[in-house]
Amino acid sequence: MRKGSKRCFFMDYIRSRGEEIDRILLYAFLIFAFALFIIVPFHAKTLKVGIAQNKPKVYWDEQGNPSGIFVDILDYIAEQEDWEIEYQKAAWDENLQLLESNQLDLVADVAFTTDRDKIYEFHQIPVLFSWTQIFARKGFQISRLEDLNGLRVAALKNSVQASLLQEMGKGLHLDITVVTATSFDEVLALVRDNKASAAATNYHFGKLNARRYNLEETDILFEPSSLHFAAPKGRHIDILKTIDKHLADQKRRPDTQYYRILKKHTSEEHEHGIPIWLIWGSLALISVTILLLVTVIIFRHQVHKRTAELKRANQDMEKRIEERTEELSLAMHKAQVADMLKSAFLATMSHELRTPLNSVIGFTGILLRQMPGPLNDEQKKMLSIVQNSARHLLSLINDVLDISKIEAGELELHMKEIELVPIIEDVFALINPQAEEKGLELNLRVSDHPRFIIVDERRFEQVLINLMGNAVKFTFQGKITLSYYAENNFLILRIEDTGIGIPNEMLSKLFQPFMQVDMGIDRKFEGTGLGLFISRKIIEMMGGSIEVQSEPDKGSCFTIKLPLSPQETPCENESC
Amino acid sequence: MRKRVLLIEDNPENFFLMQYLLEKGGFQVMGADNGWLGIEMALFNIPDIILLDIQLPGMDGYTVMRRLRSTPELAKIPIVAVTSYAMAGNRELALQNGANGYIEKPIDPDAFTGQIEAFLNSSNTEVPK
Repeated sequence: MRKGSKRCFFMDYIRSRGEEIDRILLYAFLIFAFALFIIVPFHAKTLKVGIAQNKPKVYWDEQGNPSGIFVDILDYIAEQEDWEIEYQKAAWDENLQLLESNQLDLVADVAFTTDRDKIYEFHQIPVLFSWTQIFARKGFQISRLEDLNGLRVAALKNSVQASLLQEMGKGLHLDITVVTATSFDEVLALVRDNKASAAATNYHFGKLNARRYNLEETDILFEPSSLHFAAPKGRHIDILKTIDKHLADQKRRPDTQYYRILKKHTSEEHEHGIPIWLIWGSLALISVTILLLVTVIIFRHQVHKRTAELKRANQDMEKRIEERTEELSLAMHKAQVADMLKSAFLATMSHELRTPLNSVIGFTGILLRQMPGPLNDEQKKMLSIVQNSARHLLSLINDVLDISKIEAGELELHMKEIELVPIIEDVFALINPQAEEKGLELNLRVSDHPRFIIVDERRFEQVLINLMGNAVKFTFQGKITLSYYAENNFLILRIEDTGIGIPNEMLSKLFQPFMQVDMGIDRKFEGTGLGLFISRKIIEMMGGSIEVQSEPDKGSCFTIKLPLSPQETPCENESC
Repeated sequence: MRKRVLLIEDNPENFFLMQYLLEKGGFQVMGADNGWLGIEMALFNIPDIILLDIQLPGMDGYTVMRRLRSTPELAKIPIVAVTSYAMAGNRELALQNGANGYIEKPIDPDAFTGQIEAFLNSSNTEVPK
């Protein structure tokens, strides 16, 4: 009850004072408006700025707000300088006309040309640089300027692109018909609707929008131009100078608002290019592929290892193998389905794994060199361990990747003629520190013939490093000798060691994946057992073979046989 | 006068790694984490050499190289591609697209600045090993 009466009283009060409040509000408004009228012209300049539709440089977003790189940059400067900005929407050539008749103070995104410099006022430091790029319908073969001969090419009316095409056509004696439209969207639409064969736009707009019109970018990219704000001739020189001052200041360092604005609008471009679901989808698929591949490799390994045990064991166990094999074939089938993604997976995986490793190895190296400051012995020792482990991890990644490539049939070789001695010397230089550490002698028996061989240089080097590395790893005293000679148009290269050797029963399995000479429980060697498998595959792909002879406790000898080129003599004139 | 290096690399750790080595080696380092920014910075403050990662977000390294080469002010600046060897043919692709040289990750801290000096001192067309 009391509450009710209180409320009534309040309402009455409001009602009785209503007229008075209205009047006060009216006065207040009038005073405010008058104050605004007086203060604003002294307080801030209102600049009328014309912008056309040209995403991401300048455009009107879906809500009708002015947006884009030029707008953000001008807004930023305006905030610092207390300017008021009023953006006006117009077609491109309309903007230029309004500027000429002093109806606009500035137009954003104007490419500087000497002709325009005569009729407009420009500031000095470019806001952006742009290129002209040619876009064509998908599948339309245009890759050089000459391909435009006899074609109709669409461009924006009164734009730099339009005049450039005319000039270039004349200069290169090409018959180019330039068709113009009043917005970039219409320019692209002309090509889509078959009214022109190609379109010339700035590359920012084209790249962002070509797909919507079913067009694709061509390799034709020309005429870098600098983009500015333009004012009517002889006017707003102080404003243009202020814009220059801010741009100079902003462009000096990478962490300024200017670069943040650029990044904001270009990463938008990036998002438009690849939809986010596709990125997540691919990531998910890549993860599944990784899992599958790892599963396949692990299953194979296990099946191999266990088959020998199980044969001796009972039938029960055999049943389990069957189950395993079934799982394996299922996994294999799934892996085949994912085959399409394999190349993408390889590229991504290798890059993704190596990128962090690069910084681990790099920074450990920096610390070990004591560049940031001195280390004590304990720290040095620990960091050396980190470095060795990281290098080891890197070589494991390389091995697994090579295996995947070999199994996917994607290992590409780049065969060319190389000199034999330098590459062997490089390998020796690399292996020598490890050999010295173990007190082993490295011998190289150089021969005059052959001097040259046709191989994939990197892969050949990889095989030599693997074989020499193995020799050092499995040898504890004595020496390692590399020798070579030519025989029946083949290179025969031998790597002999005085190491632990390989038992007879292991010899035949040596080149299979995951095989390593097992010396019982007291000795274990680092490595995946993938190196020899990869080496053999590489040599076979180059048309050669690897063989091994060995005697336990005496040593091993690996022999590489590779075909020599038909002309084994070096090329001395250009005709060969 | 210290030589100016423009480093275009999107991975912050690797960026810092190379920046550290270059600055210790007496270079002045400018940086960008995407190709577009890289070209802008190169035009604003012409570098003596450009180190370029291939797998960049948005515009990839090959495209960046082509754009650099087709821009008159930047066409002559030596470009060194810095990337992991990963896929066969990366090196060839980089050289075809306008790189003067190629450094593989992982970077060797002992050799890195020496390699850059070598690229700077060699003529524009030769690729030091």
